[in-house]
Parts: sequence; C-alpha cells; structure tokens
Amino acid sequence: MKRRSFLIGSLGTLVAFIGTGATIYGALPVIPKRPMPGTDDALGWIAHQEGRFLLTLPRIEMGQNIATALKQIACTELEVAWDKVDVAFHDSDLARVRSTVGSESIMLFAEPLAQACASLRDALRRGVRQGLVSAEPRAKEQLKTFARHGKIGRTAEIVQGREIVTGKALYASDIRRPGMLFGRVLRAPALAEYASKPLSWNAEAARAIPGFVAIVKDCGPDIGNAKGLGIIAERPGVLDRVVEVLNVVWQTEEPTTEFSSDAPVDVDRRPLEEMPSNVVLNGRPEPGPWNVDLKLSIPFAAHGAIEPRAAVAEWMHGKLTVWAGTQDVFFIRDCLADAFSVAVEAVRVQSCRVGGSFGGKTICTVEAEAATLSRAAGAPVKVQWTRAQELASAFHRPPSSHRVRARIADGQVSDWDHRQVSSHILFTSAVVPNLMQQATDAFIGDGGVARGMAVPYVFPRARAAYDLVRLPVHTGPWRGLGAGPNGLVIESAIDEAALAAGADPLAFRLAHINDSRLAAVVEAVGEMSAWETWKRPENEIKVGRGIACGIYKEVSYAAVVAEVEVAPDGRTRVREFWCAHDCGLVINPDQVKAQCEGNLMWSVGFVLHDHLPMERSRIVAETFVDAPIPRMEDTPRMNVELIESAKPPAGAGETVMACGPGAIANAIRAATGIRPTRFPVRTA
Amino acid sequence: MQYVLNGAIADVPSEWHDESLLFVLREYHGLVGAKFGCGVGICGACTVIVDGMATRSCQVQTAELTPTTQVLTIEGLEVNGKLHPVQEAWLAHAVPQCGYCQSGQIMSAVALLADGDRADATASSDAILSAMNDNLCRCGTYQRIRDAVRDLIEAG
Repeated sequence: MKRRSFLIGSLGTLVAFIGTGATIYGALPVIPKRPMPGTDDALGWIAHQEGRFLLTLPRIEMGQNIATALKQIACTELEVAWDKVDVAFHDSDLARVRSTVGSESIMLFAEPLAQACASLRDALRRGVRQGLVSAEPRAKEQLKTFARHGKIGRTAEIVQGREIVTGKALYASDIRRPGMLFGRVLRAPALAEYASKPLSWNAEAARAIPGFVAIVKDCGPDIGNAKGLGIIAERPGVLDRVVEVLNVVWQTEEPTTEFSSDAPVDVDRRPLEEMPSNVVLNGRPEPGPWNVDLKLSIPFAAHGAIEPRAAVAEWMHGKLTVWAGTQDVFFIRDCLADAFSVAVEAVRVQSCRVGGSFGGKTICTVEAEAATLSRAAGAPVKVQWTRAQELASAFHRPPSSHRVRARIADGQVSDWDHRQVSSHILFTSAVVPNLMQQATDAFIGDGGVARGMAVPYVFPRARAAYDLVRLPVHTGPWRGLGAGPNGLVIESAIDEAALAAGADPLAFRLAHINDSRLAAVVEAVGEMSAWETWKRPENEIKVGRGIACGIYKEVSYAAVVAEVEVAPDGRTRVREFWCAHDCGLVINPDQVKAQCEGNLMWSVGFVLHDHLPMERSRIVAETFVDAPIPRMEDTPRMNVELIESAKPPAGAGETVMACGPGAIANAIRAATGIRPTRFPVRTA
Repeated sequence: MQYVLNGAIADVPSEWHDESLLFVLREYHGLVGAKFGCGVGICGACTVIVDGMATRSCQVQTAELTPTTQVLTIEGLEVNGKLHPVQEAWLAHAVPQCGYCQSGQIMSAVALLADGDRADATASSDAILSAMNDNLCRCGTYQRIRDAVRDLIEAG
C-alpha cells in the first residue's frame, strides 16, 4: 500500500512539473535585504502636483499608526495644512525599503523624510514646478521636525481613521478583482518540520459541489516540509464544502517521538558546569551558593492577529500582481520571483493595510499560494487563511526555558547567571533550512533570542548565555522578540533578589542602575503610582503591586507598575497599570501612548493567557478559545506618561514588552507570596 | 431572495444562498467593512446588526433571511455624510490601531446604544462589558473602546 502510494505521489509531481513548468522550490532561501534609508530614497516618497502633495509611505501600516506620524513630519517640513497631503501605501516598484519590523520607523525614517520634504519645500519656493528635486541635506537641528515645530509633539487626526470607522479601509482580503475566484491550499495536520504530502482525494465528490472550480496538485513552495493540495471555487463558502467531501489522505513522516507543547525545551538538559554556546554577557560569577535560583518556562504562543493572512494574486501576460498584508512587500516580491522563475520586474506586490501583524507576517506563504492558484486558474484568486490555518501553518513565538541565579553581598547583587534554551527567532526555521541554521547557530547565534538578555543593571559579575534548538514547530519573530521572555526572567529575578536583600524593589533597582534615562522612568512610575505610600488593602481578595523596568534595543526605556488582585478561587486580574516611557523625541504622543497601552495588554496576555497547545505531534488549537487572547474583561485602567525630550527618536512599538510581563508577575508574587515560574499562570 | 440591507431592498441570486451573510456582504455586495476573523462566531470581527441585534454575520445563513429581515452594516451608519455618534466617538478617542476588528466593535456598540434598557443602566460598566466582551482586539484598544462607549452612554 505504501509503495503504491509513493508511486502515485511521484507521478503526480512529475505531471505537475511538465504541465506547469514549476520549478523545484526552495533550494536556497531568499534572504531579506535591510538597506538603511537615506535622503535620496526619501525623495521618492513625496511628490507635488498643483498645490497638493502625495506621501507614499515607506513603511507598512499595521496599526502602529505610522502613517499619521509620517504625515505629521511631512506637513511640518512642507509647512502645509493637514488636508494638502494625501497618503498612499507603497508597492514593490518603490525603491526598496527595509521590512517594517523592530520599532524602527521613526528612528530611521523620520530624518530622511524630513530632509526630503524640506528640500521639496525649498525647491517649490524657488519656483521649481516640474521635474525631480535634488536632496539638499541640512543639519538635523535645522529641520523643523527635530526642533519640534509645526505638528510635532501634537495629537493628529489618524490617517485612515474615517475610512476605518466607515468600513472603507482596504486590507488584502478586501481586494476584489473582475472574475476573481477563491482558493485554499490544504496541508497535512502535522507540524511544519515533518515531511507531508497529499496522497489521494475524492475529486469526484468535489466536482459535485456547485461552485467548485478545480483541484491544483502543484501548490507552490512548501510551508516547512508540508506540500499542499489546492482547491479553487467560485465563492468563498464553497471551499469549506469542498474540504468536507474531499477526504484527503495525507502521507506524513512519522516522528520518532511524539512532540507536545508540554516542556518542549529544558534549560537543565545541559549540565550547569557547561556554558551554553552563545554568550551575551561574559562575566565570571564566583562559585558558591546562590540567594536566588529560579527556573522559568515560557510556552509557544501564536500572534493572534484578528486578520488571518490574505492575498489576492493576478497573472496577466506573464506578469504577476499581488495585493498583500505583509510587513515587507520587497521580500515577498523576491520570493515570488524566485518561486515562479520570473524576473523581479515581472512581479508587483502592493501593500495593503495590515490587520495586525506583530512580527508574524514577515515571510512569504499565502502570497505564493494565491499566485500558484491564480496561475493554475488563469484568473485572479483570493486566499485568506482560516483561523485554524493561522494556528497550524504560521510560525509562532518560541518556547524558552530559563534558569537565572543571583547572589547578594552587602545588600547588592554581586553575581548573576542567566541561562536560556530557546528555538529560533531571527533565523526562523520557517525560512532557514536545517543545515544553514547549524551554521548561523555556530557563528552568529540568534539576535532575536538574545534580545534583552543583557541586564540593564550594573552587576559586578554577570553572565548570560543561551542555546538554540531546532524544533519540529516553526518559531520566529513575535512582538518584542526575546525582550518579552528575557525581561520577564530578569525582572522576576531582581525582584526576588530585592526580597532576599530585604530591600524595596524600586529602590533596589535604582541602586543597580547607572543609566539616567532608565532611572528617570523608574522614578516617574514610582511617583505616578504613589509606590512609596501605597498600602495593601486588608480584605479577602489578595492584592499586590509589582514593578519592572527595561531598555529596548538600547534606545528606548520603560517602567511599569502593575496592581493585581487574586480572588480566593485563584482568578487573577490586573486592576491598574502605571507606565512611564521614554523614546526620546515624540512625533505623536497620543499614538505612542496607544502603543504602550497595546503592549500592556500584550503583557496581560503574556502572563495570563498566551499559549498554543500541541498534542501527538500536531497543533491542536483551532480557535481563539484554544489559543486565547485578552478580552475587555481583562483590561485594567492604564495610566501612561511619556518623558519627552529632544533626544533622537527611538521605537515605541515593543518597548513595554520588556517590563510589562515582569510587573504583573511581581505583583502576583506580592499578592500571593508565590513566584510565578510557569506561564501562562493558571488563574482558576 | 430578498432582504433589507442598510434600508434598501437587496436581491441575492440563488448561487449565493448557501453562503454566509458575511461572504454575501463582502463578496457579492462589495461591502467589505465586516471582516472575516475566525469563521466560527468567536472573535466578533464580522458583527453586523440583524433586526436590532448585534449578530455574527459569519454564522448567518443567507437562505434564512426574509424580505423583512433588516441588516445594518457599518456602511449604513453614515447618513448624508454625517457620521453616527459611535463613529465620531471612535475618532475622538483615536481608538483604531490596525482597525481590522473595529467595524465589529462599532456595530456591537451601536446595538448597545440603540437598546435603551441596556444603555440606560446605571451600572454602565456591566452593560458595556456584556455588550463588548466578545469582540476581540489583539492590538489592545479595549481601554479606548470602553471610554468611548462610556462617554456615549453618559451623553445619553
């Protein structure tokens, strides 16, 4: 039986190869390029015609409201009214800009955009009305943006706000093309790393469904090692009915041991005498007993964006157009050109507003599925993943296991040792094959796992090191990368160290901080929350407060106080947050606060909700019930204050991930006397 | 078959009768404000108002609609270029981040405010929570949604 199945599989592949000229996909991965933006590039972002301006956003809009901030910069430098500037999303015909990741948009793009707009303004004043304008870079302090003139540092009407509240803002799944069909690529119910392929299916039953169009056997690049089986229909609901009758039999590589989400990595598998392979801090703790010794386990988690990824693809005269909700249209374009063996000039990827991304919409998946099905159908095809596909076929936050130890001498931390094992983030298994990953492990490590592992405190002898393991589940970037897990671990351990030293947690942190901006946010959040004078209420509900702080990517700072209540039945709720945030020059304070609020809600999820169950070597979560995210009932009052300055603008999209989870965990510890070490904390 | 869509009679040809109301709205009528988020009625991104009730359009079979069924979508809130008070409040509070869930959030809020009994409740926090708790938002805009709806209730 198996032999016969194998032959059918081979033959199917062969037929597809001849029939569609398909290439052998994925021999070598396409690597994303990350050029630094300059003023010459920025001239391509702003144009003038008859008194109006068109700002082509060099960034993807996915909810950080970067469109609003960049328009504030453009209006300020151009010295024009808000309604004189139209905003458009870029496509891959724009000169390449790096992917929209890592909270870099204001940090790296504010000055080039300001320079370009200032150059255009001056040219218009000289009477230039046609042709291309040259960049006339000037000193940064001569730019109105950095002098905080005009619309800088103010609230502004959200770009596309009116479109969103009237249902007119377009996401990839909202694109409709003449003659468009609907597609889905089915894959085996197996983890991405295991080889799988469709063996047989009931095509006759599918053909009997009204609205069925086609089954497509060659479904483009594999996702992980999963080969797909495509279906195309005239209407979206037909796809579900076809799936019901198709009865696909899958051939799946049998794992040697069953994989589950229960303790997938364990830091203690490597003996404590050995150093993990990748060193972040190379201090040498002295031997001896430790005052703090914690083991923390952080599970897999999905991104949970409400928009399942989607793309519309259309081939015309050998050229491909794709409308996509992605963080990098250039990388998607390059991947598609590679996958279909066409020149990059033959592919155009149009960015659409993204319905939440959080690091998860960074690789090429649904776009290639749509393009493959569109080519097979000879018609435009829309593909939007189901929620179950989002959970089964996307990459996820890696699980990580940490052991952190601290020794106290004379009331101060003298020695620190943080060890971690995690699966990959930046060199995600979803893109990087095993062999290549072994090379990056050996020579580079993974900066995503390392992010935030260096303590923001001054300890005489501090060591931090990590090991990487490739898991059968693909893991990758997730809001804040390593800063969330590492921040939670560090802030839990320093809190325990403060307790062990008999010190106030806030004062204990300040005693180990020599960075004035970090000290300032800690002091500010202490004042906001009246940390010193607050008294724990005496009643049957246990209440506690916790503090944490952190530095993100060495440029932006935050501190958070959380107040938590734990009911007698264990139900745990964050009652209130106070957050102080310093990302230097602020373009739009209200939207920086909105990012802080979002990260605080992600912190609630991090500690109380986020997990992704796997059993019997497959992801068993199919809905938001199985992989929950916070709801309104989980939402505390959030008080956010910004420390604004003329310091270089830095990121705001992830900073609070470095300290929000730690503040909640420390508040639970204060309320209950129990240190949370396994996440999510079971609350009832 | 026919039903009433945003105050006007709408025809749906027979091949669309097996589709959910969500897909008929989005792909037949071209009203894309309601979004597909989970397909099983959990996330609320597809919420529209059917005969006065906030309803998950992904769970409504189009064949069940009748000529008197009134369906209100976010596209039907604006009247003569004037936004609905809920839409105004969403802008005043700068609620949207990615915006994908907001059409559903707004329709749940509109249904709450149209329901005099619930909206007048002195315990407005409970009313807001019971009306809005099943509309999920991953960006974390809940505090602004709550503040916006509370303002609307207090303004009467």
